[in-house]
Amino acid sequence: MAYLTQPDYVKYICSCGQLKPITNLYFCRHCLKIRCGFCICHEVDSHYCANCLENMPSSEARLKKNRCSSCFACPSCFHTLSTRATLARDPAGGDGKPPKKMYYLSCFNCRWTSRDVGIPDQPVASGGWPERTNPFTTRFNQLLDYYKAIAQQEKQEKLDKERKKFVTRGKYINLTDKTGLTGAMARNIAGLPSSESSSSVISNFVPSQASPDVEELPDDYHLKEIDLKQITRISQRTSCPELQPSLASRLSPRPRALCVKRSQRCRACDHNLTKPEYNPGSVKFKIELLAYYHVPEVKIISYETIKPGGTSALLLKLSNPTAHEMTVKMLQPEDVPDQEDEHKTIEKTLEKSLNLEKDISWNASFPRRPPPPNAGSVNLPAVSLTLAQRDDAAEYDDEPPGDNDDIILWRKSNKLALRLKLTTDAQAKVGSNAYFSFALQYSYRNTVPPSATVVQHSDHTLYTTLILDLGKVCE
Amino acid sequence: MSQNIKILPGATVCEDCTLEGDITIGGGTVIHPRVTIIAEGGPIIISEYCIIEEYATIIHKKAETQETPPKPLFIGAHNVFEVACKLESFFGHIGESNVFECRSFVGSDVKIGSGCVIGAACQLTVPQTLADNTVIWGSEHHNREALEKQPTQLLQLDFLSKVMPNYHRLRKPNIHKRLPSRPSQDTAK
Repeated sequence: MAYLTQPDYVKYICSCGQLKPITNLYFCRHCLKIRCGFCICHEVDSHYCANCLENMPSSEARLKKNRCSSCFACPSCFHTLSTRATLARDPAGGDGKPPKKMYYLSCFNCRWTSRDVGIPDQPVASGGWPERTNPFTTRFNQLLDYYKAIAQQEKQEKLDKERKKFVTRGKYINLTDKTGLTGAMARNIAGLPSSESSSSVISNFVPSQASPDVEELPDDYHLKEIDLKQITRISQRTSCPELQPSLASRLSPRPRALCVKRSQRCRACDHNLTKPEYNPGSVKFKIELLAYYHVPEVKIISYETIKPGGTSALLLKLSNPTAHEMTVKMLQPEDVPDQEDEHKTIEKTLEKSLNLEKDISWNASFPRRPPPPNAGSVNLPAVSLTLAQRDDAAEYDDEPPGDNDDIILWRKSNKLALRLKLTTDAQAKVGSNAYFSFALQYSYRNTVPPSATVVQHSDHTLYTTLILDLGKVCE
Repeated sequence: MSQNIKILPGATVCEDCTLEGDITIGGGTVIHPRVTIIAEGGPIIISEYCIIEEYATIIHKKAETQETPPKPLFIGAHNVFEVACKLESFFGHIGESNVFECRSFVGSDVKIGSGCVIGAACQLTVPQTLADNTVIWGSEHHNREALEKQPTQLLQLDFLSKVMPNYHRLRKPNIHKRLPSRPSQDTAK
């Protein structure tokens, strides 16, 4: 919860150089690297409506312009509209008929109703809402047809060119030369659309023309007092780009936009990092390689105020989220050995995946690990610390307090509190951000079964660099 | 402060609420437990068919230039005060069919017409006048004008006045003679 509501005090450096809290990071078990949303491949798995949880394939979603057919969003505040029922009395009635149920749409956030803009109540609860037609539909379709025709023509031209490259006019007489069968006729026989029709679309197309005559503004344009309640806000207009209503009375319910479920893929090894369950009602994952489950978590317990040139105490909590014992050692960020083999592996897999164009040039052109900002240094103990595996039952046990010494404050199942000393630079400016960085060396047992070809060690020593945000440097 | 609380027949007023000063509660009105109504600047008159929910606070503040006799704060019919809303006013009149949503705050210099909605957690502190059917919502205090008044909560009122006596101690109506009903404007003057 603290990760959701509080600023991120502890940030990890991703393998791409971004600073992210542990909850925003992924951990690729195949590359053994931390990845973040910036350096992985996002793929759309499925489209669904977040309101009615209806699933639809992407082709259908495209056909419906990525909008749900049964749910509506409020044109005023973009909240989901609800259907409300009222009992309507027959105006001509009085002949003892029971009052009929009529339905209208209403927003529970801003209290906008479909009655506000004069949409008549509907006798059925869902569907049948009148749609405002786009005045430019015909022009729109014309343009679409035109560009389709152009695309087809260009494709054809490309094909023809390629064919010409291979066909060498030589000794043999072509069939068309002999019989006088033209390309158009051959197409006709084969049942392909004639190139004539597409060219007719192109030739009949009338490009739009700019006209110098502009409708004059009404005389009272600048003098008329504006009633802000009558006109729409920019966000309300842009939510409906085809109509762009300028008056509040012209707003109409918008079909609700669909949401997507995404799966994430490591760009280096093409393995899935997360894969959600297909069912839109479920929030679980089939694959969930989050850093939170694999990388030791560091939290700040407390610290003394940071003063230039002074030393202050820092209490940290380390926890081991994995099901295996972990050995952790703290290092200065400069002491992390370089792992430069990464570039090679990326390029190798690049060759493998031909259809996916991956631009990794940024990888080379930017420094992979910019030196972390520092207001001083952390005095790190030179000892290796052992963190027990995570045990969900452990919190029910009455455990005797673990070993205490000058570094370890306390120890409890898979958690460990450390007491460290910070030395702040004498030049550190008062009021500047107090960032401190250190690196963690940790042992990691990979549970992925090694593939048949590669001999893999299941135990690894990995490194990660963190940056602690300890507020401001004080006087 | 003198206690002078008049509850008209048909009103459902829970015992567990703070009522101070000269307060008149109209018939059909439901006041939930833990409500605070304080009439320090003058009498408060709550009309028929209002719903005042838990932790709502209505204060008739003392104005700096206190008139004698003090002006009453008149709250029209069919108003809904949702959970933990707060109304501080020394203007004499609040219209009908308004909704004060949860945790909304209406300061002392705000005039409210009829059919207005003050959205959840909206704070009105600046002197202003809300025209009829104004709706205010969201953290940015967007406002718009509704076409019609908010629908009445008569079904809810019926339900509450039936259920409330089963679970709460109620204050008994202490005026048994029904006052001749007056148009709201007269009382405001």
